[in-house]
Amino acid sequence: MTNSSNHSINTSAIAGVSVWVGLVVVISDWMGKQAHHWLPVQASTAAPLVDDLFSFETALGTFVFIGVVSVMVWVMLFNRAEKYDETDAIPIEGNTRLEVIWTAIPFVLVMAIAFWTIRATGELGTLGPMEHIHLRNSAEEAGGYAGDRLPAEQVEVIARQWSWEFRYPGSDVSSTELHLAVDQRVTFRLVSEDVLHGFYIPAFRVKQDVIPGRAIDLNVTPTLEGVYRLRDSQFSGTWFAANQADVVVESAEAHQAWLDNAARSPLQPGLSQAVSEYAIRQARANPGWATVPPAPPPQVNMPGSPDQPHTA
Amino acid sequence: MTIATFPPEPKPEPSWGRYFGFCTDAKVIGIQYIVTAFFFFLIGGLLAMVIRGELITPASDLVDRAVYNGIYTMHGTIMLFLFIFPVLNGLNNLLIPTMIGAPDMAFPRLNAVAFWLVPIFGFLLIASFFVPGGPAYSGWWSYPPVSTQNPVGHLINGQGMWITAVALSGVSSIMGAINFVTTILRMRAPGMTLFRMPVFCWTALAAQSLQLIGLPALTGGAIMLLMDLTFGTSFYRPEGGGDPVLYQHLFWFYSHPAVYVIILPVFGIFSELFPVYSRKPLFGYVYVALASFIIVGLGLIVWVHHFFSSGVAQWMRNLFMVTTMLIAVPTGVKVFAWLGTIWGGKLRLTTPMLFCLGGLFNFVFAGITGIMLATVPVDIHVSNTYFVVGHFHYVIYGAAVMGIFAAIYHWFPKFIGRMPYEGLGKLHCLLTFVGANLNFLPMHPLGLMGMPRRVSSYDPEFTFWNVIASLGAFLLGVSIIPFLLNMVSAWIRGPKATHNPWNAIGLEWLLPSPPPEDNFGEDVPTVISRPYGYGSGEPLVEHQEEIERRLQLQEAAS
Amino acid sequence: MTTTTLHEEHPKHNLTGFIIFLCSESVIFLAFFSGYALLKTSALNWLPNGVEGLEWRMPLVNTIVLVSSSGTIALAEHFKGRGKMLLFRGFWLLSMAMGAYFLYGQAVEWSGLKFGFTSGTFGGTFYLLTGFHGLHVATGILLMGLMLIKSFIPGNYSGGEQGVQATSLFWHFVDVIWIILFLLIYVWQ
Repeated sequence: MTNSSNHSINTSAIAGVSVWVGLVVVISDWMGKQAHHWLPVQASTAAPLVDDLFSFETALGTFVFIGVVSVMVWVMLFNRAEKYDETDAIPIEGNTRLEVIWTAIPFVLVMAIAFWTIRATGELGTLGPMEHIHLRNSAEEAGGYAGDRLPAEQVEVIARQWSWEFRYPGSDVSSTELHLAVDQRVTFRLVSEDVLHGFYIPAFRVKQDVIPGRAIDLNVTPTLEGVYRLRDSQFSGTWFAANQADVVVESAEAHQAWLDNAARSPLQPGLSQAVSEYAIRQARANPGWATVPPAPPPQVNMPGSPDQPHTA
Repeated sequence: MTIATFPPEPKPEPSWGRYFGFCTDAKVIGIQYIVTAFFFFLIGGLLAMVIRGELITPASDLVDRAVYNGIYTMHGTIMLFLFIFPVLNGLNNLLIPTMIGAPDMAFPRLNAVAFWLVPIFGFLLIASFFVPGGPAYSGWWSYPPVSTQNPVGHLINGQGMWITAVALSGVSSIMGAINFVTTILRMRAPGMTLFRMPVFCWTALAAQSLQLIGLPALTGGAIMLLMDLTFGTSFYRPEGGGDPVLYQHLFWFYSHPAVYVIILPVFGIFSELFPVYSRKPLFGYVYVALASFIIVGLGLIVWVHHFFSSGVAQWMRNLFMVTTMLIAVPTGVKVFAWLGTIWGGKLRLTTPMLFCLGGLFNFVFAGITGIMLATVPVDIHVSNTYFVVGHFHYVIYGAAVMGIFAAIYHWFPKFIGRMPYEGLGKLHCLLTFVGANLNFLPMHPLGLMGMPRRVSSYDPEFTFWNVIASLGAFLLGVSIIPFLLNMVSAWIRGPKATHNPWNAIGLEWLLPSPPPEDNFGEDVPTVISRPYGYGSGEPLVEHQEEIERRLQLQEAAS
Repeated sequence: MTTTTLHEEHPKHNLTGFIIFLCSESVIFLAFFSGYALLKTSALNWLPNGVEGLEWRMPLVNTIVLVSSSGTIALAEHFKGRGKMLLFRGFWLLSMAMGAYFLYGQAVEWSGLKFGFTSGTFGGTFYLLTGFHGLHVATGILLMGLMLIKSFIPGNYSGGEQGVQATSLFWHFVDVIWIILFLLIYVWQ
């Protein structure tokens, strides 16, 4: 926006703007690199793709933001009316060339981002089919769940108000702590017994709503051993915030050992923070506003430990 | 036009009572809307303080979890349906007739009914705190099946009252929208073609068209929700073959455009105020005006981006991502136009101008996080986290509410007839700007780290940013004190305002402050040029000097 | 696009306002229609147990009556323009009667159905769509009655004929909605 009204090109202005633009580019690039540190550890194959896109958008966004704010600050500093100056400024009604430029550039930019994103999403390929299922009744539930048709590398995830249950049909094992083998692609089959839930593991950068009446497949490949959090991300009622579980990514051997150990363990009540909090709440003289009672803790082979530290 | 009636007969001071009754004067209704809205703003703000109080520590320790869920639900509902829509409708009522030279709205009685519905459904919503079982607790989206679980089991329950209140709000908004659109289309002053209309009217027309197209979808969705909740139908119940995702479609088909219903008039406010306080015409008026309608068109076809992580197919994700990204283009046109307007101007950093600049700053930030949210992979990670909460609070509070404050300070002299105090106004602006950024910026790192929204407790690693956000929220709470002080004292004993204290161009500034009941009455001036003729020296209307001289004489006489 | 702003011209805006209202009202039907289509296409078993499908012959008769009433109301309006008030009132009343017959036919159909409002999404959407439309038909008949009574007031039309125009527009709207509804519910089975 350097206008040279008297036809003499103001070289110092151009030099100044160029230096400033260069500086902003450097800052934007730095911000783009910083963006990686704002995100949790990268524990799946999806994470680097998401993070790179976010980093690019951060850099671009920083450039636009500083650009706009620079203009605002410049104007506020140097285009102020003098005290008692009641006159108007030079009336400039518009500039068609500028309008075209600042329509075209954002258009090209956002389309470029969209193109990149569509390619990245294709590469991610996390989302499998979504089929409608008949809701199971509780009688069927007691006699064991018909998850046997799933191949070994699949994990059935059952979301309830408010607990998570994981079933490993290949090993005939269930738990309330998700155990996965590192570098091995796993397909989750997400079902909900009651309301909407969200299957969200920040370290994996995956999130998928769990929708009652549907079974949704989700593919993930964990890449880093550690303990992460699985959080319910779609509001599911009173103990929504407590509806979390640990995700343990371990070596293939350790995972097999865990499965074997689980297969030998008898069924016992799994973890459910909501159930214990509900008991305390109901013991009070006035339990407060109405709430849906939590589902009883699922009967599982391996409840897992409630208080282990997690990295993300 | 003659000055036959000079000296004007002293009119009896209109009584205060009309503000509390069924009055059909748009200017009275406008003030009724705004005052009512700020009453509910205080309630919604108090709820926000409780939310941030709970979230200042990781554990759920301040209020019961059920109470927390009710409070965050009501915070969102009150702020949207009882604060921001009413306050904008208040501005529409004040500004549309005066800006286009109409004596009143097209349907004054309908207008009054639309307003009086607001306290009625407001009462209904607040009353739901006191029914057995407590208020609605399923968030302002009220996604089924959570919203149809009805744990208390009564026919009258918080959720049912919530749906009824939202439906009434829809009826009120539709009535308002029909009125505003008809008024703008049919009642403009002679010579005021569409392309001589102030941008605020353009944006109001665009926003109200969106209301007309979108709201019925929400109403339809809400009717089915109420049936599911009350009569046991299964539109959204999976066990009866229903589909909860259908509700999400109907809900967001309106509620995404609702964001534009909020932000478009604020774009209008920016477009009105930047020229006044920069003493320059609006840069690229035609493009700014038309961009509003491009935003309307695109805004109607982006709703799925609110539930990318729900049960939608991949092709839908890609399609709606592209349309969402395209909105950046007309929005960018507007932002650059405002920069072009202030560039090389003669800026007067008054309270309204500072609010506009602060609002623009926040809006640009929100726009950038908006682009991030549009891209599917990033959205999958941060949707339903605090990143989204931060993003939309930057839009709604950082940009829209700051724009609304700017409008209130700017037009207060016109419609109240007294000047607000600059010192208090600037203090209010500073506290709002700092408070909003302190409150909402920390939400972005929280969301990136993976903290879901709507939680009543969280893992300890999120504590640091939550403490900062809570402190910012409390500062925002404090920021409202100088505002209220300013408004009340200025209304009671502020210095008398002239008809045009900001030296602004526009039909409303050719009326006395406050304007008489029928505005220009029979003497509607003929518009002869485009708005924002700052620096051109061209008059806006025929006989402008005469009109202004008459107003000055009136002011000197009183 | 310049209009004067004199107070007595206000009634002219009524029709504008009403047309805007109808456009908006159509979206609520659009919402229900798309909901119906979505639920139907994604349903595992659409019809409730023991329900074979909907009988379409009587509703077809109903449809013909309702759609023809659009013609009679247009004729009434035409005669009104010619100042033939008797013919206007006659055709107006006939349109009302045809609307009432439609409602009666629908009531008969409802009472003979084997499924209820809560019989899955099929029952829910069926009663919602037909009921909501029926409500509009009833409103239309009431509006026509009101206009008929008003037509006996001397000097009723000195301010324009917007009431009659609006009512007839509403009636056409209700008819068009029914045609879509009939195609969706009865033809597409």
